[in-house]
Amino acid sequence: MKTTRHTFLLTLAIAVLALPAMAAPKKKVLNLFCWSEYVPDSVIKGFTKETGIKVNVENYASNEEMLSKLLVAGSKYDLIQPSEYTIEALAKANKLETLDLSRIPNFKNIGAPFKSLPHDPDNKFSVPWMTGSVGIVINTRKVKDEIKGYADVFSGKYKNRIVVLDDNREMVSWALATLGLGVNDITSENLAKVKPILQGWIPQIKVYNSDSPKTPLANGDVDLGIVWSGEAAILIKEHGEKFKYVLPENAHMFIDSLAIPKGAPNADAAHQFIDYILRPEVSKIISENFPYTNPNMEARKLLPEAQLKNTASYPAGDPKLDTFKDIGKVTKEIDKLVTDLKNK
Amino acid sequence: MQTPLALLQPAHGAARRPGFIGWLLIAPLIAWLVAFVVIPALILLVYSFCQRDELGELVFSFSLENYWRVFGYVHDESGAFAWDPTYLQIFGRSLGCAGLTTILCVLIGYPVAWTLGRAPDSRRNLLLTLVMIPFWTSFLIRTYAWIIILSENGLLNGLLQYSRLISEPFPMLYTPGAVIVGLVYSYLPFMILPIYGSVEKLDNSIVEAALDLGAGPLQAFLNVILPLTRPGVLAGILLVFIPAMGMFAISDLMGGKRVPLIGNVIQDQFSGQARDWPFGSALGMSVVVLFSIAFWLGTRRQPES
Repeated sequence: MKTTRHTFLLTLAIAVLALPAMAAPKKKVLNLFCWSEYVPDSVIKGFTKETGIKVNVENYASNEEMLSKLLVAGSKYDLIQPSEYTIEALAKANKLETLDLSRIPNFKNIGAPFKSLPHDPDNKFSVPWMTGSVGIVINTRKVKDEIKGYADVFSGKYKNRIVVLDDNREMVSWALATLGLGVNDITSENLAKVKPILQGWIPQIKVYNSDSPKTPLANGDVDLGIVWSGEAAILIKEHGEKFKYVLPENAHMFIDSLAIPKGAPNADAAHQFIDYILRPEVSKIISENFPYTNPNMEARKLLPEAQLKNTASYPAGDPKLDTFKDIGKVTKEIDKLVTDLKNK
Repeated sequence: MQTPLALLQPAHGAARRPGFIGWLLIAPLIAWLVAFVVIPALILLVYSFCQRDELGELVFSFSLENYWRVFGYVHDESGAFAWDPTYLQIFGRSLGCAGLTTILCVLIGYPVAWTLGRAPDSRRNLLLTLVMIPFWTSFLIRTYAWIIILSENGLLNGLLQYSRLISEPFPMLYTPGAVIVGLVYSYLPFMILPIYGSVEKLDNSIVEAALDLGAGPLQAFLNVILPLTRPGVLAGILLVFIPAMGMFAISDLMGGKRVPLIGNVIQDQFSGQARDWPFGSALGMSVVVLFSIAFWLGTRRQPES
């Protein structure tokens, strides 16, 4: 009797100890930390179906939010989706894993203009996801003048009819462009020159919105906007000729990319995911959902004519545009400048 | 329904120290407060004396610089102190905005609460449910509904144009007025419910006595009804004023984020572009201190019974 009971307890103990291991036969996971509204569900489902890797998605709304959480949460994430200047900052601080391009054969699909850019000259840390520009979108029913650049938007004629990205660095870069300066020429001297320009601009702005600047344009609350090209592309796609996209002089582009943070627990799965989304047929799905400029040349071949003709997604002549560089602590000065001016 | 403030008042000085069972019963509340209020507040306090580095990580170097910045003393280029009241002005604007919201909530909420409290039992539950129905929908969805109503191609402008009251769409969304509308809409139930609690407890014979003894309706209201429902009004004011002060989603979505409020500025320090956690913490601590003072002012000198 006693032995039976001992055996029983022993079996029970083994069962209890073995249970978690049996119940969860090392299921592979990928912790993806990405922009909200940027990774289609069907792409994630397709990846899980093919590889059996479960994808845990967490979203953010800005590079800065991502950085904050990444720095606090440490090595919780396997794959992040930073833009170019954030990649540069993270690489500088040694916070990114080096990619093994031999495990990402589809990297060859990325077009030459989107490789070896200043933020990652040796393509060591990042693979482009989508790219786009920042430009001017116009409601042609309301705005009859020709709008060529930022100065035309803020001529004073469209006071209270303008939406802009809620992004201090963007605003400073537009003011720099009207001075003929580069988007990265951010010095205290230049900021002093930018100040009176922004001082004239800010009272004319009706809405600041980075998440969905297309909403006030579509609702008729504003007639002009300085927005992400993808937002303009959606407006053009849905409203046709009513909206027009203008790429101003000295415009700049952004490269949203995938990168693996240092110490990522599932770097293998992350490599697999990167290679998966670089397949032309997968990349096409991303383009269909989010009509930014696809850096994947093979995927572009699969896109419908209408999308390739959308000038917000694919500006004529594929102009070579500047990208933001990491500016470190000067961010604080920019923030101060714009907060001050908005407060006046 | 007891109001939060009424709960704070010792009943006729008969307050006893809670016994063992009492402590056991409030232990979950204390644990919750310690874990989610006290500890985070202490972390904020420590952060507020730190600095940020190039990438935005915390540097533990004790300094009062963040507080100087909140209160308007900043170093200019030469290193000397200069006066720059940017953040004080933002504080002031937020106070004004929250104050206006609170006043409107009292003016709209009091009559509603009075009607609710005096309604016959059969109808009262239905009316109370109507006050609470908005909570069944997510706050963000309700705010987006306001965008659809107020935008220039929206429902209200459409209605006004259709009825020929206006010929051109009238800009309503993305104005300071829209922010106040959004705030009053969101917080009105928090004013109605505590006042209702006071009104319901009000003994009708006292009001009748006042009227019998020759008080006019206005006098009866000012001298009898208002003092007796005061705890409800004060609780409502605290419940509306404090969250309205920190709210940033409404000024973002309905105000177009044009003028910064303190909630926007703090949010920007944590997850926005500024990414200056220490400065955000200093702003946050300043708000906490401000609220503590407001709470103290609101709760002291209560009538003894």
